[in-house]
Amino acid sequence: MARRYDSRTTIFSPEGRLYQIEYAMEAISHAGTVLGVLAKDGVVLAAEKKVTGKLLDLSSAKDGGYGGSGEKIYLLNSNVIGGVAGLTADANSLVNYARTAAQRHLLQYNEDIPVELLAQRLCDMKQGYTQFGGLRPFGVSLLYAGYDPHYQFQLYHSDPSGNYSGWKATCIGANNGTAQSLLKQEYKDDILVKDAIGLVLRTMSKTMDSTTLNSEKLEFAVLTLDPETKRPNAKIYRPAEIDALLLSEGLTKQDDDTEMKAT
Amino acid sequence: MSIMDHNGGSVIAMVGKDCVAIASDLRLGDRALSISSNFQRIFPITDRIYVGLPGLGTDVATLRERFRFRVNMYTIKEEREIEPETFAHLVSSTLYEHRFGPYFIEPVMAGMSKTPSGGYKPFIAATDLIGCLNFAKDFVVAGTASSKLYGVAEGLWEPDLEPEDLFETISQTLLNAADRDAFSGWGAIVHIITKDKIITRTLKGRMD
Repeated sequence: MARRYDSRTTIFSPEGRLYQIEYAMEAISHAGTVLGVLAKDGVVLAAEKKVTGKLLDLSSAKDGGYGGSGEKIYLLNSNVIGGVAGLTADANSLVNYARTAAQRHLLQYNEDIPVELLAQRLCDMKQGYTQFGGLRPFGVSLLYAGYDPHYQFQLYHSDPSGNYSGWKATCIGANNGTAQSLLKQEYKDDILVKDAIGLVLRTMSKTMDSTTLNSEKLEFAVLTLDPETKRPNAKIYRPAEIDALLLSEGLTKQDDDTEMKAT
Repeated sequence: MSIMDHNGGSVIAMVGKDCVAIASDLRLGDRALSISSNFQRIFPITDRIYVGLPGLGTDVATLRERFRFRVNMYTIKEEREIEPETFAHLVSSTLYEHRFGPYFIEPVMAGMSKTPSGGYKPFIAATDLIGCLNFAKDFVVAGTASSKLYGVAEGLWEPDLEPEDLFETISQTLLNAADRDAFSGWGAIVHIITKDKIITRTLKGRMD
């Protein structure tokens, strides 16, 4: 009988739950992990890519653009980076909505959109699908790593129900519970970006099921302030830069294939 | 008197050898009364594109912001900078969207566009207030002094001018045309765009 309350997204079950929303959140907890850490002088984001394969054309990611392979981490505005977990197609639609919302704010107020306001704009839309019937909710959770002059660096999380919250360090997607308890142990309030990068990568390597950590499996981004202009500097790492970073952090594990070749 | 002449001001763009120039006067008026002698109506779009917006002052500010919106969306989606030809069509479509209640602006664009071989070639264009594009090989003019600018530019411009010679040509053209127009003048600003740098100079003019 419980199934009767599954079909419509906007109908409460007798226990007072919205099943479709819970299913959407369940789907996200199987998606690639996205992890964010708020530091004193910046925000660090990392994401696990699930879709990989020899034949996948990644040539566009190597040169040009803002870096990254554009699967999990996106530039939402000059002051906000977004990390997505869930249905990729839904995420693309939300990223486009966020970028337009940010530009509309710039047009109206001639200033970059505050991070919380951008999260609110998306959540207003996401919430709509939990109340007005007929359509399924967005199957996407997002992390927003951003900067605005009033509240400085911020890290937000939003889920399919339209809830959002600010975090010092958080994680969405597969194994988010493990990652969150690891972060809880290791996070320090006055952590700096250079230490946060290490924390993020170490936590990622522990939660990801693959043994090798490399640019094929990982996306990485850092938001800092430019020391001269005092404007936010959103850097999404290119695949080559990720491999270099992993090497310098001592996290490149031995690949099975290279061992085979060596013998 | 047309609303196009309400605030006054003129813009001109010229092609040189591996460079382009765009220049404008600095006057903002209220009919015959001058309000400002430092009104900027030329704006950078990318490192290699400038746009001049002669016409109604309030629409200068509005259009500048609308172009920023659309160029930012283009840049973030395409993950590269917009090319001058593409930007010209962006300007044209933005203006034509308001075909029956137009912005009172006649934009002038100048930039260096990438060639398939990896080099750069000069590009200039202008549109009327509803976005009809005019791609010229020599020079484009717009604003209250446009009729005078045509005359002086026809006389002074020649092909393949080096950046410094182009600067002299566009400056003399603008200053002399503005002197024959009561709604333009009060100094000028000139930008010379080459493939690797931009030279910006502010000129003094007759203050009457």
